[in-house]
Amino acid sequence: METFARFENTPLSIWFRESGVAFFSTLTLHSLAMGLVVGINIALGLRLAGFARSIPLQGLRHFYPLHWFCALLILLSGIGLLIAYPAKALTNPLFYLKLCALSVALLLYRYFQNWMASQDDEINPTPHLRRLAIIMLVLWIITITAGRFLAYTHWVLLASHLS
Amino acid sequence: MIKTLLEFSQSTGIYGFMNSAWGWPIAESLHFVGLCLIIGTVGVFDLRLMGLAKATPLKALHRLVPLGVAGYLLNVTTGIMFLTTAPDQYLFNPAVQTKLLFMLIAGINMLFFYATTATATRATPALAQAPLRARVIGTISLTCWLAVIVCGRLITYYRPPYHWYFWCQ
Repeated sequence: METFARFENTPLSIWFRESGVAFFSTLTLHSLAMGLVVGINIALGLRLAGFARSIPLQGLRHFYPLHWFCALLILLSGIGLLIAYPAKALTNPLFYLKLCALSVALLLYRYFQNWMASQDDEINPTPHLRRLAIIMLVLWIITITAGRFLAYTHWVLLASHLS
Repeated sequence: MIKTLLEFSQSTGIYGFMNSAWGWPIAESLHFVGLCLIIGTVGVFDLRLMGLAKATPLKALHRLVPLGVAGYLLNVTTGIMFLTTAPDQYLFNPAVQTKLLFMLIAGINMLFFYATTATATRATPALAQAPLRARVIGTISLTCWLAVIVCGRLITYYRPPYHWYFWCQ
């Protein structure tokens, strides 16, 4: 807790926390990037799971650059939020649940990306891939829910304010 | 108005649920899931209209749109739950008013699309550019939905000064 308190008193952490523009911009960027990443994952996941089978899977590869750019934005804005309130997130198990769910979901997306790259134009997902796609969609719901609940379940907001 | 909304919330059980231990964050999570459904279906369709992923036929991508409508209905439902439970927090909040404005623009834009451009757009083959009007409509639509996310964040974390919003004077 002392380490958190020391970090919270660094100029960078104070700036992220107390500059309304910095915190709001970081939070908004985090939400926008999450919306786009999860949105693109939903489109791919639903298609792999069996919805809208007329969508050529290879066509969806054009969304990869936007997806990974937004994933990078999630990481950077997430680090920004962590700098602002390190104890709030790092002392909450839900933060680690969100991190795990998000990481596995992104790894699954990467797995699908590699699988599609090795296929011909006409590809049909196997039942195993369909199951993985459903797991990926569930993992995104867990990520979103854990992220929302983080705001309500922290037991410490600032370690430096603990008496 | 506030009294009517609160009475509705209390008589339907929404108020009780939203004030339970986890009611509010559950509704917030569903609200964001609904928004992601919209971005993942309508937003992806908008991106294709704008020229991304041309190898994907618009007609095929349009098949995802009903799921976007489901996301929209989920958001309207959860939005009503927020509004009726704490009407004073939302009714006079400029961020909410701006959010609703962007939703209205997105709605009118969508109606305009289906009235004027949808048939020609659906006929666009893979690798072809969507008609210019469809590209403009796609850009407006995606901008509106991204603005809705920004305004949604503004509601709770940063309330701009009221003088920014002349209709609140």
